Amino acid sequence: MPKSRRFFSAQNRREWLLPALFIAPALAVLLSLSIYPLFYSITISLQQETSSGVVWTLGNFTRLFSDNFFLIAMVHTFVYAVAALSCEFLLGLGLALLLNSRMRGRGLLRASLLVPMMLPSVVVGVIWRLMLNPDFGAINGTLRQLGISTEGLTWTASPKLAMLSVIAVDVWQWTPFVFLVLLAGLQAIPEEPYEAALIDGSSRWQTFWHVTLPLLKPSILIVLLLRTMDLLRVFDQIFILTEGGPGFTTETISLYIYRTAFRFFDFGYAAAMSFVLLALTNVISVIYIKFLQAKDAI
Amino acid sequence: MGIEFRNVSKHFGGASVVDDLSLEIRDGEFVVLLGPSGCGKTTTLRMLAGLETVSSGDIFIDSERVNDVPTQHRDLAMVFQSYALYPHMTIAENIGYPLRVRKFDKAQRVERVNRVAAMLEIESLLERKPRQLSGGERQRVALARAIVREPRAYLMDEPLSNLDARLRVQMRGELKRLQHQLGTTTIYVTHDQAEAMTLASLVAVMRKGRLQQFDTPMNIYNCPANRFVAEFVGSPSMNFIEGERTTIGIRPEHIQIFSEPRDGAIAASVYVTELMGNETFVFLSFGTNRLIARAPADFRAEVESKVWLQLAKDKMHYFDPKSGESLTQRHKV
Amino acid sequence: MRSRFRYVLLVPALLFALAPVYWMLTISLKSEVDQFATPPPWFVFTPTLDHYYDAFVTRGFGEYLLNSAIVSVSSTICALVIGTLAAYALTRFELPWRLNRHLSLWILSTRMFPAIVTAVPLFLMMRDLRLLNTRASLIIVYTAFNLPFVVWMMRGFFADLPRDLEEAALVDGDSRLGALVRVVLPLVAPGLAATAVFCLIISWNEFLFALVLTQTDAAMTLPVGIAGRVTQYEIKWGVMSAAASVALVPILVFALALQKYLVRGLSLGAVKG
Repeated sequence: MPKSRRFFSAQNRREWLLPALFIAPALAVLLSLSIYPLFYSITISLQQETSSGVVWTLGNFTRLFSDNFFLIAMVHTFVYAVAALSCEFLLGLGLALLLNSRMRGRGLLRASLLVPMMLPSVVVGVIWRLMLNPDFGAINGTLRQLGISTEGLTWTASPKLAMLSVIAVDVWQWTPFVFLVLLAGLQAIPEEPYEAALIDGSSRWQTFWHVTLPLLKPSILIVLLLRTMDLLRVFDQIFILTEGGPGFTTETISLYIYRTAFRFFDFGYAAAMSFVLLALTNVISVIYIKFLQAKDAI
Repeated sequence: MGIEFRNVSKHFGGASVVDDLSLEIRDGEFVVLLGPSGCGKTTTLRMLAGLETVSSGDIFIDSERVNDVPTQHRDLAMVFQSYALYPHMTIAENIGYPLRVRKFDKAQRVERVNRVAAMLEIESLLERKPRQLSGGERQRVALARAIVREPRAYLMDEPLSNLDARLRVQMRGELKRLQHQLGTTTIYVTHDQAEAMTLASLVAVMRKGRLQQFDTPMNIYNCPANRFVAEFVGSPSMNFIEGERTTIGIRPEHIQIFSEPRDGAIAASVYVTELMGNETFVFLSFGTNRLIARAPADFRAEVESKVWLQLAKDKMHYFDPKSGESLTQRHKV
Repeated sequence: MRSRFRYVLLVPALLFALAPVYWMLTISLKSEVDQFATPPPWFVFTPTLDHYYDAFVTRGFGEYLLNSAIVSVSSTICALVIGTLAAYALTRFELPWRLNRHLSLWILSTRMFPAIVTAVPLFLMMRDLRLLNTRASLIIVYTAFNLPFVVWMMRGFFADLPRDLEEAALVDGDSRLGALVRVVLPLVAPGLAATAVFCLIISWNEFLFALVLTQTDAAMTLPVGIAGRVTQYEIKWGVMSAAASVALVPILVFALALQKYLVRGLSLGAVKG
């Protein structure tokens, strides 16, 4: 019978005009502000200034292989992403499983947990620079009150602890997101499979592994996809917290590109690096989306 | 004001949902499109409304070809199965909506809405919202919205199917009176043959997209064009006795049951009886055949007891076993 | 036993999320003496509004606030109008070559770009158009930024609406556009509101594009203004916290209002919270 209950069925040839008019502005905006910049970017990435003017060259791309800073920035980005994602996921999932029940104060809990992820990144940065301040910050202050020495715990100023600090801030800000999405996913699971598993004599762990996890897969994939995308392109918080320092210890790929473009004004090279980052995120999102389409989540 | 379907077909992908339908409807008629689910009756109605495109063939309203005329200009009114009342508007605003989009001024709108509401006895509901109304009330509002504009025809898509049985019977009667009062052409879709029989001046029986018979209810009942129509109309349905060269059909009310043998009567045994209160349904078996007969309310018989059946000769129908076409010669009313 | 255990978990979770925010709020209200005191006073101190005055009146944060507000509201309105129309068309009209699906996914994918990838060329484009350091450039960019989100969210809301009502409106004599305005939009109003609030939050919080496209006070938004001062040598934490606290007030208000739609919005409509 009719293909889809959602579409209008009666569309004559003449009726393509209205939908076209409706969609055109959106397409125009996106084409000019999201797609065209990419082409612009390709153009400048393939150009370099030499003494005899501007030449077309792959120089910017070949430079990537010999640029240690670029490789280190990539490593940092991956370390950051993997570490933050693991913590957020495990904490968020654990919390969601434990708190998956009707209880009073759920609205309050949800509203409070919203706060960290809704904050502007600069505010997150300010908050944690305050908290992590070695002299008057709350963290060190509390540690000292507990009798623990805070010698050398300079957090964002310490080459050894800076990466850890930045990761911790991300975990603070985004675990609630993982928690909320997974909780929603859990609560969408009907009672019946659990009841059937109980009758079948399944243990808690088995139920979790064979019933809960598979039914939670779409939510898990969505959460992993969104967080991975966000973590790979992280910029704001690190900029405020450490500006990539001390030294180069927390420089991620976005920060390095920013510095190359806006401190050293080497736009061509920055553009080339952008494409590597874009390719990377594209590949990863395609992989995730393939999984999602298979599960019919989108 | 006439409506005509000329060789109208509708395809979805490879499947033919309406197949070569030709139908002529005159002004003032109450035509019911009757058939089982999937027979194409709703699609036909929607094509007339302009909510589905016509794959081939033409539709004419008042001798004007309307295939390419957009829905909003066809001047038809429709009562949807789900009523499709606008949830965010009051009842008065719902009913007045067709007038509002035609730029009637406020005074005229109010006057018409009130008039129609009085006709359908829903004046007290005018300031409420649809979600506060019962099913029967919502149905009246949908009707009111249809008649407030005085359109060329009313299209109704199974409007009574969401009501409970008692309300359905009540609304049936009111609908019939209303249409009689207003005199506007009505095209009504249903799968309920009782509705068709009671409401229609003409019935179009459809099956798998094809028109089976287009005739008055009485003729459809008494002179069905084929086995499908014979079986579909009438409750309980017609009995069929399969033969090699003909299939015999006889309606339950045309079987008389005797407790003793008679000339020309067939021997049968009682399978079960159902006491309906005003009559009794008797399920019979003879040979490999099962029959249903209608008997007076006081008829009693034991299960497995032997009885003798007399079938009214002038009421028997004959069908071709392969094609189902009627072979009966009969006078039509 | 289990349920009490759950409640016990609630408290640390709430503390974990809210304590740092609270800390910053107190810094903004503490005199300089209290700020540097050890042990740091969590609750007992005399509050002062000096820092707020300092930030917004003396040091010009008020202007950044105004810029943020103008840019956020304008870009949200633009994105809403353009995006809702597109979403409606994509949901209700069937386009050839399965364009509905392809266009929707393509629109979604533009949201996946890392900001820096488009920030660099956009900077150069805006420089060529002499639009650097203007609010207009931010409004334009933020509209493009918010558009995929609006389309994706509103698609979900339109899809949830049965098309019966629009068909009834057409039969009643309304045009497609009229049906959209009179019947559909009132019914998706809550969805529109939620989407609008999301866009406001996203625009209000945005940092990278603002940083790249505005370097002068004329158009600088609040986040950039705060960041600029933070990276200076002598940091006035009271002023910083005051500015940051004001920056988060609208967010808190919206977050509370939006609670119901939040999960749906953040997961781009894939999970209905």
